[in-house]
Amino acid sequence: MIYFALSKGRLAAESAALLKKCGVDASVLESDTRKLVLTSADGKYGFFLVKPSDVPTYVEAGVADLGVVGKDTLMEENKDLYEMLDLRLGECRLCLAGFPARKDALTNPHLRVATKYVNTARRVFEERGEEIEIIPLHGSIELAPVTGLADVIFDVVQTGSTLKANGLAVLEEVFAGITARLVANKVSLKLKSEEILPLIGKLKEVIA
Amino acid sequence: MTIRKLPAGVQDMLPEESRCLTVLRERLGRVFALNGYDTVASASLEYYDTYSDIRNALPQERMFKLTDTDGKLLVLRPDATLAISRIAATKLACGKARLCYFTTKWDLQEAGGLSSREIEQAGVERLGEEGAFSDAQTIAFSIECLKGTGLRDFIIDIGHVGYFKGVLEACGLSEADEERVRAYINRKDGLNAERVLKRAGAATDALNTVLALPALYGGAEILDRAERLTDSAVAREAVARLKEIYALLCDMGYEKYVCFDLGTVRRLSYYSGMVFEGLAKGLGASVLSGGRYDNLADDFGKHVPAVGFALGLKRILIALERQGNLPPAEPLEAVIVCERGAESAAYRELLRLAADGKRVRLSAEYGRAAARAAKGEAERVLFVTEKGIEEI
Repeated sequence: MIYFALSKGRLAAESAALLKKCGVDASVLESDTRKLVLTSADGKYGFFLVKPSDVPTYVEAGVADLGVVGKDTLMEENKDLYEMLDLRLGECRLCLAGFPARKDALTNPHLRVATKYVNTARRVFEERGEEIEIIPLHGSIELAPVTGLADVIFDVVQTGSTLKANGLAVLEEVFAGITARLVANKVSLKLKSEEILPLIGKLKEVIA
Repeated sequence: MTIRKLPAGVQDMLPEESRCLTVLRERLGRVFALNGYDTVASASLEYYDTYSDIRNALPQERMFKLTDTDGKLLVLRPDATLAISRIAATKLACGKARLCYFTTKWDLQEAGGLSSREIEQAGVERLGEEGAFSDAQTIAFSIECLKGTGLRDFIIDIGHVGYFKGVLEACGLSEADEERVRAYINRKDGLNAERVLKRAGAATDALNTVLALPALYGGAEILDRAERLTDSAVAREAVARLKEIYALLCDMGYEKYVCFDLGTVRRLSYYSGMVFEGLAKGLGASVLSGGRYDNLADDFGKHVPAVGFALGLKRILIALERQGNLPPAEPLEAVIVCERGAESAAYRELLRLAADGKRVRLSAEYGRAAARAAKGEAERVLFVTEKGIEEI
């Protein structure tokens, strides 16, 4: 039996559609249920629906063999697991954004950065040797520069419409190609390779 | 109010678990001894410099540090192999030995899940040995050790640091970028590896070979694929060595226990040749890891080629529990209770039974009522009076 950890919400539905194309009986994911563990009718697959940021935790521990989760979450959680495939779902970019007129604020050694990607932001600026102050937020990140809480934000940008509506702009694209990834537990990949490798092969064909 | 608590990342081992750990140590100790390994124990405290002033220094943020009375910085044993390498280079006259150990290492990491700060290990080091036969024997022995612990479903995943080194040389990266690429490749994260390689201006050919690394895992067939991918002499030599090792392992009958992964390049980079990890069903992380480290002892003043591995005892216990195969408890064969005045007779009976290899307990209470109350604790309850011994 192969266990999947899927990110609750739209990504779960999209992942289910992709898995169905590969011959995985994922119809159980379409049912409206409060059950936490869902099992496919043929008994071959189990699914856990969890908060996106918890997917890497389930996979690292080996509770789930495979998982589908955004690259942004993977970078932030930085768990010991394998990234097997780019599923090319939900593409966006991780950007620094703020008021275009204050672009020179980027060189400020004590730049205040509002973000929900605290670890990633810290790593990015550490690599550059820049000292910053991180302001951790959990949502409505765009509000931070608007209200003066922060100089810039570090967040995912899909269409940029929220930024535009608040007079903000992308100052720098730090990571392009942020998409959903298929991740695998390091031990499962080797010990359940007879079940996992053919599935990865099919997924590759479907997304090609 | 920390008086009743423990700091994060360490645990007390209660009797039942402690018993299992003891059995595990006994099982491994027997396998080690029967295969001609001599035991060794390194000091728990060492100078900080031993681990920081070497080429493959351990990260300072991972070591537990103390200060000596003269102000010198000490560490709690942060790595078993390094300690034994130091002993081999400085204290073993011939530089050749087959050593085994049971030890604890400390890791100042953020603990959680399967990671702990106090790590119980068993391991072996084969010092002064070179060649593919030595490598193959080491891997074969690691399989015998895992079998000896009682684990049923496991596999040994073999790689070689030379392949990664050879392939990466062609990219001309700085040391810092090399480490970044290594970390990304190790998690099969092609996107970030590509970003670093492109920023560093790596040639397209070299870049494509590095980005092929994450997919280089599976059965022995990947070795041919790996060979075709690169012109690097170092990388091709690594593949040739793995093929040699694999052929030997097949001859010895271990074919079904091994697989390969050339994209696995762990951080602790004192390894110089083949590396391997033991993966067990039921556990999301490795239970064993090791490899060849020919140049490690150079830092301590002597060239001692060597190969070895360490087993994580706690992780093996977890895997055994999940596989439903923990060592069974040995039942108590008898409880002895006596009446006042018959203490010495009762004690002699205890010694007699124990000498006979029986597990026995002598009660500290007196009287027939105490004997009746002890029923159920053991297979037999013996009541000793001045007249003799009766079974209750």
